[in-house]
Amino acid sequence: MTDARPLLTIEDMRIHYDSVRGAYKVVDGVDVEVHRNEIFGLAGESGCGKSTLVEGILRLIEPPGHIHSGTALFRPFPEDPERSLDLVQLDYHEMREIRWKHLSYIPQGSMNSLNPVMRIRDQMTDVVMHHEPGGQNEINRNIAAALEMVGLPESLGALYPHELSGGMKQRVCIAMSMLLQPALVVADEPTTALDVNVQRAVLETIAHLRDQMGAAVIFVSHDLAVHAELVDRMAIMYAGVVMELGTVYEIFDNPQHPYTKRLIHSIPALGGPRERLESIPGMAPSPLAWPEGCRFHPRCPDAVPACSSATPRTIELDTGRKVTCHLFDPDIDLEQGSA
Amino acid sequence: MKPLVSYVITRALMFLLSIWGAFTLAFFFFHLIPGDPVSAYLQQLEQQFSQTVDAADAAAMAAEMKARLGIDGSLPEQYWRFLGNVFIRFDLGPSFINFPKPALEHILEKLPWTLWLLGTSTIISWILGFVVGGIIGTFRNNFASQFLINFSLVISQIPSYFTALFALFLFGYWFVLLPTKGAYDPSIEKDLLNPRFLLSVARYAIMPAMAVVMVGVAGTLISTRSLVTTILGDDYLQFAHAKGLRRSHILMRYVLRNAMLPQITGLALSLGFVLNGFYLVEIIFNYPGMGSLFLSAIRLLDYNLILGIVLMSITVVLAATFIIDLLLPLIDPRIKLSD
Repeated sequence: MTDARPLLTIEDMRIHYDSVRGAYKVVDGVDVEVHRNEIFGLAGESGCGKSTLVEGILRLIEPPGHIHSGTALFRPFPEDPERSLDLVQLDYHEMREIRWKHLSYIPQGSMNSLNPVMRIRDQMTDVVMHHEPGGQNEINRNIAAALEMVGLPESLGALYPHELSGGMKQRVCIAMSMLLQPALVVADEPTTALDVNVQRAVLETIAHLRDQMGAAVIFVSHDLAVHAELVDRMAIMYAGVVMELGTVYEIFDNPQHPYTKRLIHSIPALGGPRERLESIPGMAPSPLAWPEGCRFHPRCPDAVPACSSATPRTIELDTGRKVTCHLFDPDIDLEQGSA
Repeated sequence: MKPLVSYVITRALMFLLSIWGAFTLAFFFFHLIPGDPVSAYLQQLEQQFSQTVDAADAAAMAAEMKARLGIDGSLPEQYWRFLGNVFIRFDLGPSFINFPKPALEHILEKLPWTLWLLGTSTIISWILGFVVGGIIGTFRNNFASQFLINFSLVISQIPSYFTALFALFLFGYWFVLLPTKGAYDPSIEKDLLNPRFLLSVARYAIMPAMAVVMVGVAGTLISTRSLVTTILGDDYLQFAHAKGLRRSHILMRYVLRNAMLPQITGLALSLGFVLNGFYLVEIIFNYPGMGSLFLSAIRLLDYNLILGIVLMSITVVLAATFIIDLLLPLIDPRIKLSD
């Protein structure tokens, strides 16, 4: 990667949902970078804020939710990699220009993400017409190419969504996401609710997109096995913050954070002896009142007194991987919690 | 085309069966009303002209008149005879309110007025209600939308004869702006090619139409708004926003297009009820439509005319649902006809 500037730099992102009982701090200070041409994974239990984080980047948060603070600097222009746009600050019209052309989306509920009363081709055409109007023939050629890339016949364009299977709809969404060759594709749980065969096809398609079209992908999934197979680097989220961040090999071969270790040990090993899986004790905390100190400490078997009193800093280890845990902080008194 | 043919045949048979059933019910229902219209009429004549008629002559006269009206003999006899006349010869027999003018002629005279007044009002109120409901459903958080929806909730519960009285008071009595009774200016020659006549027809229709439209708009507006609110929460709408489509396009092709399908069924049903729902409005404005005719028929217990009007109303309602059933597959791609 000669290009030093990352494609997307998210800093201190906080997304809150207001309620009468107070603010639900669903995403509460996330820093991540996504580089060009990489597949970046976001993993974590349900409710950890991974989907909300990407919805924030896409500016799809609806009231009562709102982006409380933070920046998301996006540098989608290859000819001018220094030029950045803060996705959080763009107004509606500026954001509309960016959407799909530079930043596209493969939705979580792709089963219901297509307009039920429009033909597939019309739904693909309207997105092109709204960003790069061109001749109908050229658009049709692009649509046919996009459908072919995800393994669907061109004739499928004449059908309505209800005439397709779930996996076909998902692949239509993927084909749609690539139509304008965006710099970044956000895939929010694209394989959830699909059976394994279709899952495999979808994953291969996404990998193919990156290889062929040079797009970067943010891949959100709770399924660690899928991450292990697909992504280059990944962040493990817990309770609205990133616990550990590194390459997929580092995370799986040598997890550092106690949470990551527990999470990885809860996956059954294929072909190994059938034994009781380790699970993480306790329940995920509520975003209305995260635990004091480290958010994982009530469930952490390695917790020390400092964990309940001081918020851990994010420590950068040797190879650029980051861990948010007191155990790796050389400057902290583990018994007292003061640096 | 085969499923369509068998569908149409089944539905047409059902259609005939429903008309027959409704006819039978109405026939026996109106004959259950106590009283002998012919004798009552003859007595009234005697009083009016202060003459006594020989009892035998009066009885002979009554029998003659009943025979001409087809209401002599036992009830089952009358029923079979009437059924045959109506369904085989399309003959309702003479009317009693204006003996011996055929009942059908009365109906055909009044029908165009009702269709014009109420058909137009129903279509206008549907269009207005749909468009305004769609807009306030999309922008439901501003003051004007909140006001309109609450106002409509109140208006929709007011019976149309009350809004008719209110309009009459306001525009006919307080501000003398509009004619209060009739369907056209009687001083103008009744000629459909005369623009002055047509203008007066429109002017005379304003107030009764207003009474119907006000209530109708409120109903359509409320249901459209709730449909739109549901659609706005659907996945395909979030996806449409993520695609960066223009707002107006999303509103037209994604929101209103989907909200329109159930509302078109509603329009067809209310068009079917045009002959039933607004008799009181017609009577208040002395409009020469089916409402006034039905009132006179009931007053004199004119069986032939009453049954003719009932039959006409039922046929129109059933025809409207029949036609919409055939049209829906053309409008909504998800609906297919099957046996």
